[in-house]
Amino acid sequence: MKGNKKWLNIVSPVILLIVILVCWELYVAVSGIDARILPAPHVILSKLGERFMRDLSGDFLYTIQVILIGYCISIPSGILLAALCSQSKLVTKAITPVLILMVVIPMLTLVPILQLWYGYVMKVRIIVVICQAVPIICLNTLRGFTKVETAKRELFRSMGAGRFKTFVKLIFPNALPQVFVGLKLGCIFSTIAAMSADLAASNEGLGSRISVYSGMLMTDMAYGTIIVVALIGIVLFMIVAYIEKKVVIWIK
Amino acid sequence: MKMKELMRLQGICKVFDKGLDELVCLDDINLTIQEGEYVCILGPSGCGKSTLLKIIGGIEKPTLGSIVMDEEVFEDGIPKSHLKDFGFVFQQHNLLEWRTVQKNLRLNLEIFRLKGSVWEKRVEEMLEIVGLQDYANIYPHELSGGMKQRTGIARALVHDPKVLIMDQPFGALDAITRNMLSYEMLDIWKKTQKTMIMVTNSVEEALLVSSRILVMNKKGEFISKIVNDVPLKARDEKIAYNDRYNELRKKLDDIVHEIQE
Repeated sequence: MKGNKKWLNIVSPVILLIVILVCWELYVAVSGIDARILPAPHVILSKLGERFMRDLSGDFLYTIQVILIGYCISIPSGILLAALCSQSKLVTKAITPVLILMVVIPMLTLVPILQLWYGYVMKVRIIVVICQAVPIICLNTLRGFTKVETAKRELFRSMGAGRFKTFVKLIFPNALPQVFVGLKLGCIFSTIAAMSADLAASNEGLGSRISVYSGMLMTDMAYGTIIVVALIGIVLFMIVAYIEKKVVIWIK
Repeated sequence: MKMKELMRLQGICKVFDKGLDELVCLDDINLTIQEGEYVCILGPSGCGKSTLLKIIGGIEKPTLGSIVMDEEVFEDGIPKSHLKDFGFVFQQHNLLEWRTVQKNLRLNLEIFRLKGSVWEKRVEEMLEIVGLQDYANIYPHELSGGMKQRTGIARALVHDPKVLIMDQPFGALDAITRNMLSYEMLDIWKKTQKTMIMVTNSVEEALLVSSRILVMNKKGEFISKIVNDVPLKARDEKIAYNDRYNELRKKLDDIVHEIQE
């Protein structure tokens, strides 16, 4: 029974996706809409397969680097920042609204300013990714660090555990489910931030490719690039979710 | 049995600040605990019995009063150096979900910095005492409520404390499991010879396991101290037929009834 349901969890979204693609395909075929406005899915995929290695692989690697470097710096920074802030109730109260503000501000707005300082370098986009991912990781982790059951704190107090031991053996592992909420959102935010930074900075990266293709009315390739971006985000998310399942075994 | 004093509470008071009001929770508690005793504290909810246990176990500090232990006087609660003398069993199992049963026991050894094969062996022994030796590598969420609480008891014993403090340890369990664990507690007491201090709200439970019963009223004062002299031999499934048991039970029921009014 249970195994059956698991199977359904995977199959049902796939079926939905196929239904959508078939409808799309049919609509394009029946309506005879211009391929420059809405290309059929099979055209997008075949064009993408044909031209990916030649036209897109460079930008693909560039964007992947921006996302991964930015995300990998954001993880320890966000958690460390949360760990420091959680030591004081006052600091936690002060920083929470600031973090929410930073989550809401689209960090691509930083691109023009940062380019004034650094010029057209990859660093600018990595900074954008970090600025977008750190707040969301920090916010969720902080929530985990500050919500510990009283009884568990009392258990540690009954043994006279110090601040450091309490953090390492209680507060951090106790917060892991919340930390992973932050990490999962963080990888999505990283992808979005890298994309928007590409769009704002242009000249390199998958995001700028999309605007170039649209400008040249190569709509099929624009869609194809969007698919590649989506795949990056999904794969990254799935990797984090997989690690979460291996680590947070006590929550089903 | 030769009695040796283990600890003495002198004039313990606990006052909580609640804005402008002060909430007096415990008022002038005096209590001497002998080595090897099984003390049960009965009382209505909110009377401060949990707070008293927390003060005895070093989780909270008393507002006033001192604790005497090993001829040392502690004016400001149990100091860190003496916390190892206590093992605490909580109302809800209070296990760390990310640790297996045996690693939950190891936690105490890690925090008290107890290393070596003697302690490793003690983890196994304690699991055996509560009958969980086959569940050492299982995570808490896979255990039943009774097993979780047993793990909690084993954890409180693992660092070899002098006193086991239990705050309504069976309160969250169903009646059958609760009954079974009471007998097991009695067994553990006989086996380990530890001093036990337990808060409970069940007269029957207190009579089954304890050697002394203290009744607290709503104001946080002891109004009655009864020596439970039901012989250990009689404390089995047929305890309900023991005359002394029924006598004490009636007496305690009356006292408890009076407090409620």
